[in-house]
Amino acid sequence: MDLKLDPDDLNTCVQCGLCLPHCPTFRVTGDEAMSPRGRIQLMREVQDNDAPVDDDVLRSFASCVQCRGCEPACPSSVPYGHLMERTRETLADAKLMTPGWQRLAFLPLANPKLLQAGSAALAVANKLHLVPKRLGLPEEIRVDQKPIIASGDDVYFFTGCVMDAWQREVHHAGVRNLEAAGFGVTPTNELAPCCGALQAHAGLAGQTRTLAEQMMGNLSVDTRPIVVDSAGCGAAMKDYGHLLGTPEAKAFSERVFDIQEFLALHLEKLPAVSALDVRVAVQDPCHLRHVQRVHEATRTVLRPFVRELVELDDDGLCCGAGGAYSVLEPELAGDIRDRKVAAIDQVTPDLVASANPGCAMHLAGAGVPTIHPMEIVDRALRGI
Amino acid sequence: MDAPKQPLLAVDDPVLHAFAEEVGAEGPVAIEGNRTRWHVGGDLAADARVIKAPTGMVAYAPEEMTAQVRVGTPVAEFHAALAEKGQRSALPERGGTVGGAIAVGQNALSMLGRGRVRTSVLQIRYISSEGRIISGGGPTVKNVTGFDLPRLMVGSLGTLGLLAEAVIRTNPIPEVSVWLRSDDADPFGIAATVLKPSALLWDGTATWVELEGHGIDVAAETAALAASGTFREAEGPPALPAQRWSLKPSELLKLTGAEFETGEFVASVGTGTVWAAKPQPPRQLNRAAQLLTHRMKAEFDPPGRLNPGRTVETA
Amino acid sequence: MARSALKSLQSLKDLAGRASRSGGRPADETASDPLIGELRAALSPDRVRSDGAQKALMKKDASVFEGGVSGPLCYPESTAEVQAIMKLAEKYDRGVVPRGAGTGLAGGAIPLGAPIVIAATKMNHILEVDLDNRIAWVEPGVINLDLTKHLAPMGFHFAPDPSSQQVCTIGGNVANNSGGPHCLAYGVTNAHVVALEVVLPSGEVTVLGGLDAEPLGYDLRGAFVGSEGTLGFTTKVAVTITPNAPDVRTLLLSFDTVRDAANTVSAIIAAGIVPAALEVMDQRITQAVEAYVGAGYPTDAGAVLLAEVDGLADGIKIDAERIGDIGRQHGATNVRQAETDHERALLWKGRKTAFGAIAQIAPDYYLHDTVVPRSKLADVLEQIYEIADRHDVLVMNVFHAGDGNLHPLLVFDGREEGKLDAVHAAGAEIVTASVAAGGVLSGEHGIGVEKQAYMDLMFTDDDMDHQARLRRAFDPVCRANPGKVLPMGHSCADIAALRSVPADVWG
Repeated sequence: MDLKLDPDDLNTCVQCGLCLPHCPTFRVTGDEAMSPRGRIQLMREVQDNDAPVDDDVLRSFASCVQCRGCEPACPSSVPYGHLMERTRETLADAKLMTPGWQRLAFLPLANPKLLQAGSAALAVANKLHLVPKRLGLPEEIRVDQKPIIASGDDVYFFTGCVMDAWQREVHHAGVRNLEAAGFGVTPTNELAPCCGALQAHAGLAGQTRTLAEQMMGNLSVDTRPIVVDSAGCGAAMKDYGHLLGTPEAKAFSERVFDIQEFLALHLEKLPAVSALDVRVAVQDPCHLRHVQRVHEATRTVLRPFVRELVELDDDGLCCGAGGAYSVLEPELAGDIRDRKVAAIDQVTPDLVASANPGCAMHLAGAGVPTIHPMEIVDRALRGI
Repeated sequence: MDAPKQPLLAVDDPVLHAFAEEVGAEGPVAIEGNRTRWHVGGDLAADARVIKAPTGMVAYAPEEMTAQVRVGTPVAEFHAALAEKGQRSALPERGGTVGGAIAVGQNALSMLGRGRVRTSVLQIRYISSEGRIISGGGPTVKNVTGFDLPRLMVGSLGTLGLLAEAVIRTNPIPEVSVWLRSDDADPFGIAATVLKPSALLWDGTATWVELEGHGIDVAAETAALAASGTFREAEGPPALPAQRWSLKPSELLKLTGAEFETGEFVASVGTGTVWAAKPQPPRQLNRAAQLLTHRMKAEFDPPGRLNPGRTVETA
Repeated sequence: MARSALKSLQSLKDLAGRASRSGGRPADETASDPLIGELRAALSPDRVRSDGAQKALMKKDASVFEGGVSGPLCYPESTAEVQAIMKLAEKYDRGVVPRGAGTGLAGGAIPLGAPIVIAATKMNHILEVDLDNRIAWVEPGVINLDLTKHLAPMGFHFAPDPSSQQVCTIGGNVANNSGGPHCLAYGVTNAHVVALEVVLPSGEVTVLGGLDAEPLGYDLRGAFVGSEGTLGFTTKVAVTITPNAPDVRTLLLSFDTVRDAANTVSAIIAAGIVPAALEVMDQRITQAVEAYVGAGYPTDAGAVLLAEVDGLADGIKIDAERIGDIGRQHGATNVRQAETDHERALLWKGRKTAFGAIAQIAPDYYLHDTVVPRSKLADVLEQIYEIADRHDVLVMNVFHAGDGNLHPLLVFDGREEGKLDAVHAAGAEIVTASVAAGGVLSGEHGIGVEKQAYMDLMFTDDDMDHQARLRRAFDPVCRANPGKVLPMGHSCADIAALRSVPADVWG
């Protein structure tokens, strides 16, 4: 069947295999069908040779975490992430992937009230220990935290969906840090309820486009920088230019900054304080490292505020969270996480800094002491 | 282009063709070099016709780090020619021929610095049991074309083919080469001090180290050795007992000397070779390796006419 | 010769084509197939696969060659399981083909004659690092660079470093006797394997070689390394571990012409310096590489020489200075030394990803691997450019200059009518020119199916007969990786093995 993939994009892969070790699913399975090279070859088989889209082919596509760790490893710059998103979109449109319940599951993300209600229910369930521990939900989901109040109009602060519901304390820390650097902050709240990243991963790009257009409409009254403290959301918003293909979308994407990236550019504006007495390992969220490629900024921002920064020796291999991946593919996600946990254990940190809520929760589910880099900076600045 | 009748690297040396004639296709036959290792692998059958391999350097290109030599050439003569261009090889110098060194396969005393014999043979030409000239490997320093006949021939005691000519990898002779001796150093600790000794010998008491390289590096390593013991310059390696043992390097850590009855030995630390007066107890191939060995011999020399009486199974 | 080579390549394509023409999609062996049933009983159901997706992926490695339909794909986890597979292959009279990371460049791992595929990827454990013997026992699926990373805290590394080292497996390195840039000083895989546990085609398990100084018997270890999977399947490898040099210097020399770079290489060796690595890239490949890594490679230079020396600080300082001087005497327009580890790593990343980077230019590449005497490098390179021009094929040169190992990269778009034929014709001439200059067919990629047709350039029928004898001693029925290395006709049993394919598989 026609996967609607650009033949030139497919042809950039020369099958050299350099992507294989950077693919988390290949790493844990050793299975070519669970590697970027294998998946691209299967896309070709389906699109060019009319191979049937059977369960094994679907399994290959569905097992991809979409971490895009293969992209920086690829000397031919194969646009793997876009190929996979388009493949899933075509297969979802043909009702071959992403069952109805999953489509419905994403709807609340775009609706803050629905999400709040759902989260409240989840919080109760979590307290009653009805939610599996491996999901890594915070001990206490504080759905009633005080909202973020506008403090000025230098930058937009993207509040988003799940994170605003479950990890608002990270938002508060980020906002305090921006303010400490002298920026007045406007939270986006209902102006931008959701970035659409999870929907795009599931092949529901239509939903993402709608959300993107809504957000761009609301935030394009001026050209202020839009600061994002979730690596996955930032990556998705930086991709609107490609997703919508319009000059407006491209201009919008250029205004999007990861919060570490933004603060690294303004580091000198942060007050000098004594560093926290902790040894911190940096876990690079894939969408910060492989997609946005601004992961060095995390180190730049953290360095003045901690005693010691240590690196993991796994070339930034994915942790297995992958947005909804850890829920949809718990077994593979667990195996992938085991590798990450082993890499973390090797460097014996006090804390693991992760700039993405999904990664943080996934790792916390394995008992890793995760914390958002902004919370570390915030604690140092406030001396707590 | 049309298909050539002959490969581009076909053998056209009349000396080799004459040697093939001499080997012929029938009757037991063996090569003698200088008989320095004549009894390795057992005694030659009495009825074997004994011939000599051809001699002489065929081609030597120092900038290629290769030398093509007929294997009847004495190693000393071969090395003298190399030395004129500032080079040497991994072959051991102990009075034998190039062919003997390859057929027996024992490494030089300074193996750590000069390399193993088995990796230094780039191309081999031998006369088959049927009296034909066979080439294996290739003339360049690097080559993976086809099955690795040169590796098979090293240490085969001439039981698979009678060696005629080889291309040997050469290496530059280091600027400085020095032997040091200590009576109070721990030879096993030295490995951590010296990056790459060319030889490291130990007789249970004294330690000998051969250092080679840039003068400035050798001086630095000599100075660093002072931390391991008192070293002074030595004439060369110690005298070696006659019998050769092949042990694992780790087994040397446990040596007491009692293993050799007389208590006298010289061990090459890092390689596992030990010289002692008493021969090593016979070693045995495992069953599958034995079977492979028999099949190999049967494939290469069906009538068993090459070097009869000798076997690699007890060498 | 070129014609006969092309003809053989054509017949290979036909051989592989028979399978794909039979219905576009590999015929699926049903779960009721008794061979699959027995394999699943011996391993586990999830580690024996025979679905169409898997088989489609097994057809290729990183070369241009496409194999036929494979038999079942097995993921063993132990020697005993490999043994069970081998015995079942015997019982059902099927070939076996080993597969590591599928990065081979000569078609060595592609299936011919519907063999059982034995994937090494789940046998990927570093079993033991034995510092006393300076070796490590590893399983064949261990990734080359993973081993080096594992050894780093102990101050050691695994010396062979093929460009694909971040993905290729030790088992694949053993099969191909792999090289790499640093083999100039340290030697190829054969020099770094002391012992191997192998499952022979008979199903017997044995250890070849040994940890002792001079192991007893024929050097079957040496015969096995580089045999491209045709002598059996290796299940454990004892590799030597090499101490890391205390210091290293990496130089980048720019030249106006490839000839100047090649002459510099010859002059460095002639001066008695054996650097750790000497790599040359021509302008086209340098530009492609620089676009990917941004390592500061000069894109306006006709050629660059990457030279590395390692060892003790004082000595390599002398060597580095001499290399710079020799370069300048031979026309180097610029000599730059990497100042930091990061800079050095970037330069090497550029060199080691060169092949993949060419997709920026065209979607397909065909890579040769001949070796020529160093003194002939410049002449042969000029011939290569001329040959490629004449066939209207773009050629880029990136090569292990220190050991004369050329890697002419023919870059093309396979969708263009007749292009692949032009590529093969140009390739045949390049190989012929290299051998005529006193070189060999392959320095490190192996023969696989790619260079079988050229074997008669180097070897007589008698020579190949003796190679076949070596093979037969291990594998009298050519069960292991049938159809590879020796040309058809020099290995009758191969043909028999290929014919023994069940009728329903090839349709």
